[in-house]
Amino acid sequence: MLIRIVNVVQQYKNGVRALDGLSLNVENGEIFTLLGPNGAGKSSLINILTTYYKPTSGTITMLEKDLCKEPSWIRTQIACVAQNISIDLHLSLMENLLFQSRLYKVDKKIAKKRIDYLIESFELSNYLKYPTSSYSGGVKRRLDIAMNMISSPKILFLDEPTVGMDVESRKAMWKMLQKIRDEYKTTIFLTTHYLEEADQLSDTICIMNNGKKVVQGTPESLRNYIRQDIIKIKFSNSVNAKKYKNLIDITGLVKFSNVKGSSLYCSIDNKRKTFIDINKWLLDNSFEFSAIEFVEASLEDVFLSLTSSNHNTKEDKVC
Amino acid sequence: MLNILWRNMKWRFQNPLSIIITIVQPLIWLVMYSAIAGQTIDNIETGNYTAFILPGIIVLVTFSACSSGGIINFIMKTSGSYYRVLIAPVKRSSIVLGQMFEAILLSFIEILILFLVSLFFSVNFSINAVELLLIIILIFMTAFFISSLAYAISLFLPNEVIYEMMMNAIVLPIFFLSTALFPLENLFGLLKIVVWLNPFTHIINLLRKLMFNEVLLWNEFVPVILLFLLMCCISFSFAMWRLKKETSC
Repeated sequence: MLIRIVNVVQQYKNGVRALDGLSLNVENGEIFTLLGPNGAGKSSLINILTTYYKPTSGTITMLEKDLCKEPSWIRTQIACVAQNISIDLHLSLMENLLFQSRLYKVDKKIAKKRIDYLIESFELSNYLKYPTSSYSGGVKRRLDIAMNMISSPKILFLDEPTVGMDVESRKAMWKMLQKIRDEYKTTIFLTTHYLEEADQLSDTICIMNNGKKVVQGTPESLRNYIRQDIIKIKFSNSVNAKKYKNLIDITGLVKFSNVKGSSLYCSIDNKRKTFIDINKWLLDNSFEFSAIEFVEASLEDVFLSLTSSNHNTKEDKVC
Repeated sequence: MLNILWRNMKWRFQNPLSIIITIVQPLIWLVMYSAIAGQTIDNIETGNYTAFILPGIIVLVTFSACSSGGIINFIMKTSGSYYRVLIAPVKRSSIVLGQMFEAILLSFIEILILFLVSLFFSVNFSINAVELLLIIILIFMTAFFISSLAYAISLFLPNEVIYEMMMNAIVLPIFFLSTALFPLENLFGLLKIVVWLNPFTHIINLLRKLMFNEVLLWNEFVPVILLFLLMCCISFSFAMWRLKKETSC
């Protein structure tokens, strides 16, 4: 086991409890995704695991060493791509890579080889002659990750690396991370609030909320939560949406429903049949609605699904 | 340490405005103030008022350059590289010293410019090798003390605007309540005591003696060196303590 987190609590001076008795394990060589909404405690955990914060209580073992007793050694084994791009814009691409290699005391000859390989591997050679300040967000992010790979870390942490990226750039990033896992045998620990990202990219997903683990498992074992079929029914106003929510809940057609604005989101089984049944129910009862469609499940839907499932009495679940 | 020093020097030379701004005010003092005030002050030991205020202006330029060192912390925090350096396997002392030495190096570059400018104002130096070494030691200790203090203060404060105000609030009283602009003998009462108690008064007086061939007594020099050694140790420990507080592990 590469990372073992036991009952970790992080409480800030203002009283906010970012992590509330969190326990989880990360295996060697996997892409481990921490999935949760903003404020779930993901960044706090990354800050602790990268030796930036000390937890209020609990124990963390990383690479068989106690994180709080040997932070200096652990720093030599990890790297972290922060939420905000952290390249030095006054340095060139090559200077950024050299600076990072010297920070991690990488031998000059090895650093040279790695830099050449990373520039090739991360498709950065076309940008060598341009100032880093002129790069697009995607290229800056690629350089940011390349810099953090210069020390060949055993664990690479990424705090919401695709936030703000368009779909194409996000998919390119996923490929890059899979390549890092496969070619460099680096364990990747990333946080995200995108369901699709966690589903497509991860070997293990841990869903957390309010500083606690809600559920952990493989994407396949969490399929029922992450890849839910959701139908969105749009009504004329939120009052109607709330009224029809109560009515549809008692029909047994939906697993659970949720009102957002003037729309009603229903989690369903048997996608095709239920779609027809709901349409029929709406038309037979002459309920006024303006649209009905399938939509992607949101993180909120996942939490609703988790809390409304039969296992909701358990605090932690492992699928 | 050298890696961080290199990175910061690169930033400094790509932002020459940060060098110009820190030297403009001391240059104005040296050129304009000395021309105006020199006509009203008699019996200057150095013979030339520009020469008289030069040691004080050297200390002022050291204050300005070293204060600007703290600004880099805010810039690095904004760019995100501050966090990246903190979680890297780098000694905390190397991080602090790398940044401080950039400010100290800048101080010496600016002091060299001041020396060159002062030559155009009929300032005649009389410095041998030993005196030059002692001058360098005094300036280095001043810069070391201020740059580590500035480093620690920059980590306490939320943004660069408040930091600038804070450093001005510290630097200007120290400068005015010293012998930078007036000889101690011309002062009376409580003001004279306050100026005498200012450690930088003694640095300025020693620099003046060393630069203009006055008799330097070792029993004047050694206590000042010991005092500044103690001050440097305290301010560096303060900077280290503050940086270690940034990362709890």
